Formats: sequence, C-alpha cells, structure tokens
Amino acid sequence: MISSTTRHRNNSEAEPFPVGYKSTILKEFVDSLEGLKDARTLDLGPVCQENITFFALRMGRHYVCDMFLRSKQEKRKGLHPGGGWKPLDYPDRHFDGIQLWDLCDHLEDDDVNRLVEQSYSMLKATGLLMLIAFEKKPASSIVNTFVIGQDYQMDIRPQPHLELPWKFRHNRALTSLLSNFTIVRSFRYHSGIREFLFKKPGGFRD
Amino acid sequence: MLKRTKKDENNTSFSVGNTVEEKPAPSTPRPAVRQERYTSDKNTTIGAGITIEGSIRGEENLVIEGTMKGNIEMGKHNFSIGPKGRLDGEIQAQDVSINGQFKGTIKALGKVAVTKEADFNGEIKAKSFSVEDGAYFKGVVELDREPHKKSTVTETPGAPSSPETARQPVLPSSDFKMEK
Repeated sequence: MISSTTRHRNNSEAEPFPVGYKSTILKEFVDSLEGLKDARTLDLGPVCQENITFFALRMGRHYVCDMFLRSKQEKRKGLHPGGGWKPLDYPDRHFDGIQLWDLCDHLEDDDVNRLVEQSYSMLKATGLLMLIAFEKKPASSIVNTFVIGQDYQMDIRPQPHLELPWKFRHNRALTSLLSNFTIVRSFRYHSGIREFLFKKPGGFRD
Repeated sequence: MLKRTKKDENNTSFSVGNTVEEKPAPSTPRPAVRQERYTSDKNTTIGAGITIEGSIRGEENLVIEGTMKGNIEMGKHNFSIGPKGRLDGEIQAQDVSINGQFKGTIKALGKVAVTKEADFNGEIKAKSFSVEDGAYFKGVVELDREPHKKSTVTETPGAPSSPETARQPVLPSSDFKMEK
C-alpha cells in the first residue's frame, strides 16, 4: 500500500478559490468518449445538475454516484472506513470513463487506494479516468463542485452541506497511486488546479 | 384510501369571472389552454398513512405521500413523491418530481426533477432533468439527445486562447498522445 498523504508545508495556508478556468483535460476526456457507441460514464460527485445534463446529452448512459456525500455520512456516523464504498457496486469493465474530480483530495490513503482499485476494475480496457487535485489548501473545508460551462469553462460552486478535510498529495504521489494506469496528459493551471487524465491499459475497448 | 384534492370549481369560476369583468371585451372566449390547465390541476394524493402494493394507472396527476411498492402509469399526467413519500417501482408519466425516497426506473415524456430532500436510487429516461445540490443520488440518466453535434471548442495546441487557459505540463509524461 502506498502512503502518499503529506501535509505540504508550503501549501498549508488557505488560498481563495480560483474563479474559473477552461478545462483542457475535460475536453480531451469528452472528445475521446463522445464518438464511442453507447459510451458509459461515471461521475463520483458531488451531484451537479449542469454536469449530469452535459454528459447525459453526450454519452449513451451517464451514471452518478455521489461518493462525497457518502464519505461525509460515513464520517458522521463513525462507520468503519471503507464501508462507504458499498454503493460502488458496479460490474467490472462497465465504464468507458470515470470522473473523480477532486475526490482524492478528501480521502485518506487507504480510501484512495480502494477507490483507485475499484475504478480500475470498473473501467473497460482503454477507459479513461479524469482527476483534479488542488495544489494549495482551499480557504475552507467546504467541498466545491466543478461546474461545466460553455466551451469547457469550469466554475466552482461551494457545497455547504459537504465539509471534508483536505489532503495534499504531490504529483508523484498521485501518479504512484494510479501507477496501474497510463498517464495520458496532465496540466497545472496558474490557479493551482492540477488536472490528470489516465487511461486503463489494453489494446481494445472491452 | 385515496384522498382527492381538487381545485375548488367555485373558486376557479370566480377567478375566471373576475378576470372577465376587468377586461373591456368580456365576450372573448376562454383560451383552450386555460381549460386544459384546469383539467391537469386535478390531483390525487395518497396520504402519509397509506401503504400500497400494486400498480396504479390514472388520467390525472398523482402525489404519493405514503409508501408504495409497484408501478405507476400516468400517461401524460404528472407524478410526484412527497418529502415523506416512498416508492419502489417503475414510473411512467409526463413530468416527475422526486422529493422523497425512490428506487426504480422513471420514464418521463417531459422533465424529471429531484430535490435535495430526495433519496434516489435508479434510472431516468427523460427529455430533461434537474437535481438540486445535496440530493442523495445514485442513478443512471439518459436524456433525449439531439442529433449529434460535434464540440464547438477549437483549440490550437500550445496556443491558449485566453490568459486563464495558460497552462504548463506538470509531468514529462504529459506529452503522450491520445489513442482514439
């Protein structure tokens, strides 16, 4: 098991959230999947109407399972870590694309490992996984939704009902966690947002 | 037992009468749309203390405040689950609103709306969809799709279109080309 969570000394001070940015990784994710017949995508939350509509209009079937809300409920109830993963009961090799957004930023290492492992199983060969990570500590522990706007312009909307601690992970730690995947592309924006696109190895789509 | 809550006909007439009185041309016939609206205002509510196992088929709007296991067929009428309502089954209706617990499949001719009070676990096929932030939602959404429109985003590699898009790779491996 990889231990990757660190409190980054240079990044421990709260930063205001960036206003918005144009997501290159999201565009690449969508462009790659849009042409597939009956593409299935999975969004792990938070629930966001704009994003669900965006994907449901472009993909064959768009799945949503809000793991942010479940993580919060799990913490509140003091359940055994990992118990919150039961809703992720999808079959193996079921999805062409999975969006993790910044979920990993709010999970402990054990849970991230579990999430990555399950994502790998749920993805078809050549399936894509999209991940966002903040480089600097957000001003508050309130989780934000990345709302997809026109031409892949991303805006951020706070979710006051979701408060989860934030964990910093270096790029190397993140890529180590996802070492079973091939990294397709990654970007760091001036705002401190990091985006990654990973691909499950394989010659042909399952 | 079903409790029917229907808009009071006297009130409706009175309201229409008032409108007519205020207008200089009282002989103008009431628009057909208004009549249709009145018809669709008829609601049947299954109360909070009611539990049903079985199917319901109807020609007016239906609200479930109680508990039900079975299928709902409302044709071109609307269906909703109240905040304390609970339904396991399949829904076919015009517009559907989920404010309580639902597990199953929804096929809507129009819109499906899920509020933040909802606990949703199921599939949606609809023309449009809305969900409030905070809803407990695990589902599959299929919307009526327009003829395939290719993305309008145009981007020249290495030449960001605005200062906000300026970016830099964080990893050497970021230059991988996508296999399509």
